[in-house]
Amino acid sequence: MSTDIYSEHSQLRRPLAWSLTLHLAFAGFVVLYAVFVNGVRGSSWGSGGGGDAMGATLVSSVPLPANPTETTNVLATESKGLSQSQPAVPEKEPEAIPIPDKDTKTKIKPAPVKTATQRKPEPEAAESNRIPYGEGGPVSGPYTMNAGAAKGGFGFTGSGGDFGSQFAWYVEAVQRKVTENWLKYEVDPRISEAKRVYLTFDIARDGHPSNVQVEQSSGVPSLDQSAVRALQRIDTFGPLPPNYSGSKVSVEFWFDFKR
Amino acid sequence: MSNSAGPTRRHVLIALAFLILLAATGSAQDWIRTGTGLGVERVRLAAADFKPSTSDANNVNLLKTFNDTLWSDLDNAGIFDLVSKSFYPLQEPGQPSEINFTAWNSPPPNTSMLAFGNLGAVAGKVTVQGWLYDVKNEKSPQVLGKQYTDNATPDAVRVIAHRFADEIIFRLGGGVQGIAETKIYFVSERSGHKEIWIMDYDGANQQQITHLGSISLSPRISPDGSRLAFSSINKSGWEIMMYSFDLNRMVSFPRFGGMNLSPSWSPDGKIALSSSRNGYPNIFVVDASGGNSHRLTNDKGPDVSPTWNRKTGSQIAFVSGRTGLPQIYTMDADGTNLQRITDQGYAVSPNWSPNGQFLTFSWMRKYGAGEPGSNDIYLMDAASKQWVQLTHDSGRNDFPCWSPDGRHIVFQSHRSGSDQIWMMLADGTNVKQLTFKGGNTQPNWSWK
Repeated sequence: MSTDIYSEHSQLRRPLAWSLTLHLAFAGFVVLYAVFVNGVRGSSWGSGGGGDAMGATLVSSVPLPANPTETTNVLATESKGLSQSQPAVPEKEPEAIPIPDKDTKTKIKPAPVKTATQRKPEPEAAESNRIPYGEGGPVSGPYTMNAGAAKGGFGFTGSGGDFGSQFAWYVEAVQRKVTENWLKYEVDPRISEAKRVYLTFDIARDGHPSNVQVEQSSGVPSLDQSAVRALQRIDTFGPLPPNYSGSKVSVEFWFDFKR
Repeated sequence: MSNSAGPTRRHVLIALAFLILLAATGSAQDWIRTGTGLGVERVRLAAADFKPSTSDANNVNLLKTFNDTLWSDLDNAGIFDLVSKSFYPLQEPGQPSEINFTAWNSPPPNTSMLAFGNLGAVAGKVTVQGWLYDVKNEKSPQVLGKQYTDNATPDAVRVIAHRFADEIIFRLGGGVQGIAETKIYFVSERSGHKEIWIMDYDGANQQQITHLGSISLSPRISPDGSRLAFSSINKSGWEIMMYSFDLNRMVSFPRFGGMNLSPSWSPDGKIALSSSRNGYPNIFVVDASGGNSHRLTNDKGPDVSPTWNRKTGSQIAFVSGRTGLPQIYTMDADGTNLQRITDQGYAVSPNWSPNGQFLTFSWMRKYGAGEPGSNDIYLMDAASKQWVQLTHDSGRNDFPCWSPDGRHIVFQSHRSGSDQIWMMLADGTNVKQLTFKGGNTQPNWSWK
């Protein structure tokens, strides 16, 4: 019996050793997998995301209020303007890298950098839709949109983006005319800076503005008043484009005031 | 049968009405979102030379006239940043199908708008096709497409170019009619007497209107362009005279006696003038026929050069010497609410802008021997009394008059060594000489 027991002991030791090594091997594999394979997958997430880029274009083509603080100095803004010449920058990095000796360590790092450069161009293409404040030449991009009554800027319905993209020249004429007729000296001289005023109004078929309303006040009554007066001074924006089928166009117009 | 047909028909009608309502509300939801500070640069516009569409020998001359006139009109408009022709691609389009969008909407031309077209003469008739394209918008680029036909003469072609330019300016300028077809009336002594003349707004086509052989001054065209009032000296002294463009001759106007000067039309066709029939020169208002006269000012004056607020017709600005040197005053059209708006110097020749917002006048701010400066053209915001000087260091400048689009001012200047008519944008830029021969003074721009 005892021999049997001993022999059983000797029989158990081998399987135990196997199981231990296998467990260790599996644990090691899991750790290694987590470290290496997961790292690879992580980098592929960002580059593959077509949906990511779509989201960016949609959001940036919504005429979100641009940041007024960016206006002052062209050189100080981080916006790259309308020019597309910037994406060439990453090419400079390889020139700076070859000098250090530790090649192996630096080589591992570029992988995430590469994915970053792969991601960059997509948001940038979207950014060109935005009007960089106080920069760039004549504005021609679809900086205005008309989402079907979507005040939040997300409800793009089918018939939405028609007017702004199709008749950009008319939108520019409206913008120019309102700006020309806005007399800043009507604003209280003690005010040097204020929040944006948002006006809404309709343009009838014959170009006559009507239904002028302050949608969001700046908090400065004289500024709100000057904006409304600018609209009151305008008899017509010129008839709506003849090949536009609607009877009127609604406009949301903002006024940035800064002395 | 009729019972069942009635309701269904009614149902169909109601359904149709709903559909129409839906369609109406749906289309009414087009929104523009824009604002200030997005860069109100002028529209960048390229005007390609029009191409010949026939092989008539006459085409070369007509095309030159057309292209020059169109270019000058667009340049004068003051709302465009015209792309120099040296930047244009070699292949200029004569038809919409010939446009290479990328060649135009990227540098060097980098234009947003392109005017192009073709011209062809056949058997004494000329046909012009012109387009305006938004070349940054390839999906629906056409802003304007026009066709004109007229006799194949340089004059007719010039008119066509003016019309096409005005169409472009009307579309891109926010609904303000262009001035390419407007006229300027002025006094010229090139015939040996001071007579009234007329010319196109760009100085072309100068013609003499009156042949009175005396001295005629201050021509003022009526709002509808049918009649011209001016003051002229004759046996009984200075009187208001009237010329009819419907009849192409002088028509009678009552003689008031005394000295009658500087007529001015209100937007609804009344005439304000300075008359000394009661002893002192005062401002009077009469009907277009000269009847129903009543006096607005009552002082020793002299009060001269009235000008109406061209938008409202409810205010008159004039010059008065009641405090010594002439100053500009404003009053309501019934003579009440008198205000002096210049505070010093020597201010004359007021003229009210078409939108009623600004006055332009000639002002010598420091008057006297040894004082610097001369008569210069100034612009004043009628409500705030803020002013800005438009001409600088350029001799005597006087008799400013607004263009109907409110973007230009024509005036008389001595800067070239003799009195000539000049034109500028209302911000004082883009100064351009219009007349060169003889002495030419007192310009007056037509109302449309």
